[in-house]
This record gives sequence, C-alpha cells and structure tokens, in this order.
Amino acid sequence: MLSRIADSLYWLHRYMERADGMLRLMKTSYILSFDKVQASGMTWEPSLKIFTSLSKEEIELLKKDNVAALHYLFLESKNHNSIKVIITRARENARGVQDQITKEVWEQINQMYHMVNNPSLKDILAGPDAIIAIDNFINSSDQFCGITDSTMPRGQGWNYMNLGKYTERCLLTAEFTHSFFKKIDFSLTEEHDIIYWRSLLLALSGYELHLKNYSNQDHNYNVLQQLAFDKNFPRSLYYSLDRANKYLTDIAASNPVDGSIHLLRTYGRLYSSVKFADIELVERDGLEKYLIYVRKELNEFSRELGRTYFSYS
Amino acid sequence: MTGETLFNQYPIASHIWDEMKSAEGIRQQYHSIYDTGRQLHLDDLLQKHKLAGELFMSQGITFTVYSENEGIERIFPFDIIPRIITGAEWDHIEKGIKQRLTALNLFLKDIYNEQQIVKDGIIPADLIASCPHFTREVFGIQVPFDIYVHIAGIDLIRGDDGTFYILEDNLRTPSGVSYMLENREVTKRIFPNLLGESNVRMVNNYPLLLHDNLISFAPRQIANPMVVLLTPGIYNSAYFEHTFLARQMGIQLVEGRDLLVNDHKVYMKTTAGLRQVDVIYRRIDDEYLDPLVFKPDSALGVPGLISAYRKGNVAIVNALGNGVADDKAVYAFVPAMIKYYLNEEIILPNIPTYHMNNVDERNFVFDNMHKMVVKETNQSGGYGMVMGNSATDEQLKKAKENILANPRNFIAQPIIQLSTVPCLIDGKLQPRHVDLRPYALCGPNGINIVPGGLTRVALREGSLVVNSSQGGGSKDTWVVD
Repeated sequence: MLSRIADSLYWLHRYMERADGMLRLMKTSYILSFDKVQASGMTWEPSLKIFTSLSKEEIELLKKDNVAALHYLFLESKNHNSIKVIITRARENARGVQDQITKEVWEQINQMYHMVNNPSLKDILAGPDAIIAIDNFINSSDQFCGITDSTMPRGQGWNYMNLGKYTERCLLTAEFTHSFFKKIDFSLTEEHDIIYWRSLLLALSGYELHLKNYSNQDHNYNVLQQLAFDKNFPRSLYYSLDRANKYLTDIAASNPVDGSIHLLRTYGRLYSSVKFADIELVERDGLEKYLIYVRKELNEFSRELGRTYFSYS
Repeated sequence: MTGETLFNQYPIASHIWDEMKSAEGIRQQYHSIYDTGRQLHLDDLLQKHKLAGELFMSQGITFTVYSENEGIERIFPFDIIPRIITGAEWDHIEKGIKQRLTALNLFLKDIYNEQQIVKDGIIPADLIASCPHFTREVFGIQVPFDIYVHIAGIDLIRGDDGTFYILEDNLRTPSGVSYMLENREVTKRIFPNLLGESNVRMVNNYPLLLHDNLISFAPRQIANPMVVLLTPGIYNSAYFEHTFLARQMGIQLVEGRDLLVNDHKVYMKTTAGLRQVDVIYRRIDDEYLDPLVFKPDSALGVPGLISAYRKGNVAIVNALGNGVADDKAVYAFVPAMIKYYLNEEIILPNIPTYHMNNVDERNFVFDNMHKMVVKETNQSGGYGMVMGNSATDEQLKKAKENILANPRNFIAQPIIQLSTVPCLIDGKLQPRHVDLRPYALCGPNGINIVPGGLTRVALREGSLVVNSSQGGGSKDTWVVD
C-alpha cells in the first residue's frame, strides 16, 4: 500500500471519529443547556475547551450563548476543529484515496460534506430544529461506520483505517474524562450524583451500560472504571487500545520495515499502562497525571507511526 | 405542457444540420426518443433532469470552484436528451479515426527518429522546429510497439450538409472519458426502458480495453506488472476522472510525491518499502513530468523519470512529445501524412486551415475576419480562440496585432456551423451546437474505439464553443443499429 494512501486512510478515520465524538458531546450539551439546574457549569464548556483554541475569556462569553456556541463548534471555518472543517478534511483525504475506498464509503462522506455545506444549515442550527439537524449528522456518522464495516475489504487499508479510528477514540475518551474530572479536581472520593455524570456518559454512549452494570453509589469510581478499564464498553480506553493493538500488530506483520519493532514497543508500553492498571494504582499516582500520560503517549505513538509508515514527502 | 407539443415546437434552422430533425421531420434514429418523449409531460422531463443532477452530485462527479477560500462543488451540466448517431455513420467515423491515428503514430515515430517526412519535403522543417511541443529531450527514445498515441480524443464536428469533419486531434492527455461512461450510467437510471429498446452499442468496456493495453506495455516480462495512474492531485479539475479510471481498472492512483527514481528505475513508496513501477498512465502534462529535464520548479513530477523512460525501464502513456502531432498548424498536414505513410486518401476530411505565417493566406484571413475563427496553435480547451462572427471590432483588432507579432502561433479556419441537437433548457427543447469526441485506444492488437464518445454541447444560445471551461455541457451519445 502506498504510504500516502495509508496516511490518508488513517486520518480519514481519525477525522470521522472525531466528528462523531464531537457530535455526541454537542448533542448532550445542547439538551443540557435547557436544564436550568445543570446550566451552571458543564454545558458548552467541555466542548469549547476540547475542540477550540479559544481563550478562557472567549469561552466564558460563548458558553452562555447557545446559538453562538453551536455555530462556532459546528460551522465556523476559523475553528480548525469545527464539524464543517473536520468533514471537509475527511472528504479531502477520502478524495485522495478514492480508488482505495469503496464507492459506497466515498458517497457517504461526500453526502455528509454536502450536508454540512448546505447553506440553510446555519439557520436551522440557530432555530428550534437544531437538535434534529445534529441527530441527522449523528445518524450519518453511524451510517458511515456501518457502510465502512459492510463494504470495505479487510486488508491493509482496513487496518490503517481502524488504527486511526481507535487512536482517535481513545484520545477523545481521555479528553472527555479529563475535562469532567477536572471540574471536581480529579477527586475520586468526593460524591457526585449520577446527574453530574450523565452528560459525560451520554456523550460517550455509555449511560445505559452504566445503569445496568454499576451500583448506585461511588459514582466517581464507577465512572472511571467504566471509561478507562471496562472491557465491554466500546469507548473505554482499554477497549480502544486493545482494538488498536490488533490492527497495529497486523500492520507490522505485513510491513516489516525498519522501525516497526520500535513502534510496537512504544505502543506496547502505552497499552500495558492501561491493560495492567486499576483504579487503586491510578488513585495512588493521581488521576490527572494518568490521563495526561495516556494522551501524551498516544500522541507520541501517532507521530512515530507517521515516521515509520507514512514518510513519503 | 405535453411532450408532444414540446417536440413539435422544436425549431430548426435551414442552414444548420440538426441531428434530430430535418425539413422532412424527425430522423429515423430519433423515433424512439420522440415516441417516448411525447408520452411524457414536461414535468416528468424536468424531474428526470433534476434526478440526473442529483446523481452527479451525490457521486461526487463534481469540480470545485474556489472563492473566498471556500470551495463550491459544481457539476458539469448534463442534458438528458441523448445524441444519436446511426451505425452506418459510426462505421465511417471509426474507419476515419483509425486511418488518422495510424498515420499520426507513424508520424511521431518518424519525427523523433529519422524525420523522413521532413527530408522528403512533405512537412516544412521550420514548422516542426518552431513547434513548442516538439520535444528534443525524447528524440530517439524507443517506445513499446512503436505506439506513441495510446489514448486519443479526436474531436469531430458536423457541417451543414451532414459531413463529419475532424476539428482537432488530442494526442496528449485527452480527458472526458469518465463523462462518456457516467453519462451512460445516468441515462440507464433516467430512461431505462428507452435505452433497452434502442439497440445502443455498449461503451462500458473502455476501462477493460485500456487496462489490457496498459499491461501489455510493461517492459518487464512478469505476470503482474505494476501499472499506476499518475495524477496531479485532488485539486486538478479532472481529478474525478483519474479516480474513476483507477478504480475501474483496479490500478494504483499515485501522485508525483509517491514515486522516486533510483538506478534508472521507477519505484513507489509503500508502507512495506519500495515497489517497482512498470507502466505509468500519466495525466500530467509533459513539461511537469520531470523537473530535471523540464520545468525545474514543478513539484508534480518525478525527478529522473525521463532517464528511466529513456532506458526503457518504464512505459509512459501517452508518450512524451505528442504535442508536435496535435499542434494546430501541423493539423493541416495530416491529409499529406496519410498520403505519405499509408498511400490512402483521407476518409474524414480536415477543415480548411490557413497558416498565418504565409503572407497570402494571412491577408485572405484578415480580409474575411468575420467569417473566420482564429486559434492559437498550442492551446486547447477553447482558450486563445477568437470567433470572427461574434468578436467586437476591438477584439478583432487585438487578434490581428497578436497574429502579426507571432504568426507561427496562430491558424485560422472558416467558421463551420456545428450541427445542433435538442436540449432541455428553460422548459423547452432548444437547438444547441455540439461536437463529438470519440476515444480511441491504440494497443499491440490494433486500434479500438468504443462506439460513441463524449458529445459536448455549447449551452449558450448560438454559441459554437463547446469546451467545459467555456460554459459547455455534455450529453450521452448513442450509436444505434
């Protein structure tokens, strides 16, 4: 496989996964914004902090204005992480590899691109139907996953796509978790009721699983346990890294180039630090430090992956 | 409005050949369209028109117009009424194009080797020497099977008496074939029954024919030669076509930065290391292919590519230097080439062409400027063209000045009224001028031309310029038996 193609497939799926995570977080934030009790702190702040490079003061201003916040996150071209920019980039990557993805996958991305560039979207997002519009995008994103899964041939391209997807997913879960725990100073003992965690869990599609599997006390522990270590939760750090590990191993096996051993070692260290960790260990070393470590190592891994397999320019 | 009135109200002009209608009524080959069309309501046709647009949009068969840093996606306008050619007309066209390409291939071999045609005085040496696309860098390079023009797009037009003329030869990197194929796919969606009933000759084996040819050009005798399509990248206006063809043939789509040359061999950079490339179907112009030989600042090409080509380690399709054969001044000598190389009379006639460096011909053209079209010899895409009948006095004066400044750079031809076909415009059937570009493939087993080609339409009323860059659209083209 061409290095450039591998690079584009990897980033195509990172972008699509990022858009997906963002849309889900936006949806919960939007719904939450009508909830007067909750509106105090955690509405748009996490989204704006994670997906924009705005200053504290700018975030303070924006987070109280539903329409403006949604617009900035969704359509603002100046925001390098707006849905519009991300989908446009995903489409550019898809265009560059159009012969390597199936026609169905291309058409789905192309359709989302036309959706986000629809001139009437701006007014819809400012009006009462905003939530329907966000839902449409979430549906399209789900369709993208389904279409990819049911039409893409398994092979090298598939491996790079999924490596991108799970790398991004792990980063997003770490980011989201970080931002919600930061609000309570990373305390695991201080009690917060489930309402506080609900929006985080909803944003990661993990609320139902949480209600089913976890007791109604020690929410902070339980939430962290689920988001970091739950083997059955498809957005946990562990699950994401475990999947990524599989695809990385397959890639390394079929591309035995200089540096792949080193890359596997770098990844192995990160993977172990989640696979063999538990709440007690995290509590001992500090949650903040742990989440930062995971993100830092993941970013370092992504850079090394690029050096090993994508260095074509 | 009913379809019946729509068709009956279709106007024709006496001095222009219309493909659908003559003074006696609807031509035989259009009867099936006419029968279907008049049973439909205008709204049905408009609905089909809308559906066609959506199909192009959703498949991303678009080009991007950039304004204020934001890209806007546009489709190439498509008209739903097909253009129909009879089997007999087509067979004549096919014979003519095969003859022409055979001669042009021989000419290219000759001009980059012995130059007998110049030595024998058939073509003046200064015409070749002054041609900007005569590429000395490829002189003497031997190409597989002596084929230079692997893919040709020959533009034909039809005059007022129904005769087909050759308008120009496109022997470098002719584009548009994906539209020929996609137009047919869209027609299958909007007129499924009509297409089935009309005995239309098939076009969709084009990618397979091309792929077979590409494989046969591989210099290495191996089972699975590496064939790639070299594109300038996603910002090129024909990028859709590049991905389309790569996908249809199952070959790699590469950019210049994916390739490198080592020890006079071309490799592509893959995640598993370097892999040798045997055949490059390039969609990049000659002068951007190798910065070591041509434009040193080109980032689209591959440094050292020409050295590998010269050594015969890689085949490049189309060959470099073909521009000398589709130069608009050399065009006038094609009938002489056919006589010289094949000892045959030309089957599809040229349009009379006046050379501006010949004083008598130039004066004649200057005196009849309003009946002439002036073209730059090395331009394509409808650029650098002045239509004498519609240009302002100012433009004509400027054109004359330009010609006098560099006469070799221009030719003039009498304006031919292109034939018209019905187009659905503003809720009416209106005649618009068309040309025809069949795509010919030359391989070791001869020349293949898929029946039909791309019909380009000048959508502006009265306009004779069909190029997509100048507001042209396209139609599906049927060859019916």
